[in-house]
Amino acid sequence: MTEDVNPKAIMDFLKPKLGARLRTWIDICTHCGMCADTCHFYLASGKDPKMIPSYKVRFLRDLIKRKGRADKELLQEIYKSIYYECNMCKRCTLYCPFGIDIGFLISTLRGLLTSLGIAPEGLKKAVENYKLTGNQMAVSKEDWVETILWCEEEAAAEVVGVKIPIDKKGAKIMYTVNAREPKFYPQDIMEVAKIFTVAGEDWTVPSEKGWDDTNLAMFISDASTARMIVENTFKRAEELEVKQVAVTE
Amino acid sequence: MDLSSFAEGPLLWIAFLVFIIGTLIRMAQFLFVAKTKDRPFYNYFSLKYILATLARWLLPLNVDVKKNPVFIICVYLFHICLIVVPIWLSGHVSMWEESRFGWSWSSLPDKWADWMTLLLLAIAVYFILRRALSPDLRIITTFADYLLIVVTVLPFLTGYCLTHGTLDSIKFLGDNMRLLHVLSAELMLILIPLTRLSHSVLFFFSRAATGVEFGRRGYSI
Repeated sequence: MTEDVNPKAIMDFLKPKLGARLRTWIDICTHCGMCADTCHFYLASGKDPKMIPSYKVRFLRDLIKRKGRADKELLQEIYKSIYYECNMCKRCTLYCPFGIDIGFLISTLRGLLTSLGIAPEGLKKAVENYKLTGNQMAVSKEDWVETILWCEEEAAAEVVGVKIPIDKKGAKIMYTVNAREPKFYPQDIMEVAKIFTVAGEDWTVPSEKGWDDTNLAMFISDASTARMIVENTFKRAEELEVKQVAVTE
Repeated sequence: MDLSSFAEGPLLWIAFLVFIIGTLIRMAQFLFVAKTKDRPFYNYFSLKYILATLARWLLPLNVDVKKNPVFIICVYLFHICLIVVPIWLSGHVSMWEESRFGWSWSSLPDKWADWMTLLLLAIAVYFILRRALSPDLRIITTFADYLLIVVTVLPFLTGYCLTHGTLDSIKFLGDNMRLLHVLSAELMLILIPLTRLSHSVLFFFSRAATGVEFGRRGYSI
């Protein structure tokens, strides 16, 4: 095996994560196979044994056993398995007699690869965007506010009296969107504005970071960015003193 | 001291101590490590969810019974025999009575113990065949999985042969069956805290952790 991956980097990531649950779950799986036909990847692949949830998490046990020794090929194999053979739905856990949270184990592996710089390119870019601009599409504050004003104008042409209140302090609801909406689907924002207006709701949208309610950092288990994204939204909600935060469909 | 009296003397003590202290350490480890690394377990600790999930999975009230009834019923029977026979076997109870502890409790009719042992052995054969024949299980099965089934049933196999003289026609086995029985039981006891046989205690913690996590989110536990 060519050792072109630093085992220390792998263990430095895994060691602090090896909590009581993770350790226990790696240790006690008795390979009973009850999880096999609970997995939609298994069923959809014509019952390919390689899709058995218990099999997919073997990497974690192996990496720990081998003290982090791995090569690029193994990392690629792990990458393919944990991104394209599992979407962490946790259905297997509902059928595991021990309640082993395989989704959590897969998520740990995703975090490990992310820490080594391996993740789907699209997600990596999106996470960079969150860090820089607070939203996944890198929409600037000016563009966002301008889009809202324009949406308000367009919607008002169809429904009388449509207003999209920006940064209205003390509103009941703070509305947040998917950053793809201002970028590609502004009509969604208009429709929502019409509904809120007709329903007579007291609502607002924030102009600052926190208006994007998607959290793609979660999918690559980048915990600190995922946390930052949620905190942005909470910060805005507190500043605007709203009672509820609504998220887009 | 010959091997026989060593196996029934100091080694028995060692085996029991490794088993008891080892499992206690595994349990304590879980609780202490969880304190720093699995905060949600304590933050959302809920006895309600834990008892609910344990009841559901200790009794045949769970989804797996419906999904795979034959296998799961075998699993339940296997574990019942595994726990009941060694504890309530009359031969074992009388040894506790004669021991320095002088403990005594009621025992199982020997006929029952015999049948339960045979049932356990038959189920173990089914487990092994199931592993060997199913392509699904073959891919996830490791050598240790087979080995641990063997380690688990050996004390029962030797115990049955010992009480019935089944293999006494083979001189070596006939002479040493008691020793083999004691050694195999000690091996199993020692391996419980050290291998995935530790699921005997960690089952409760694993289920509890997932019960708390899934319960608070309103998932099925």
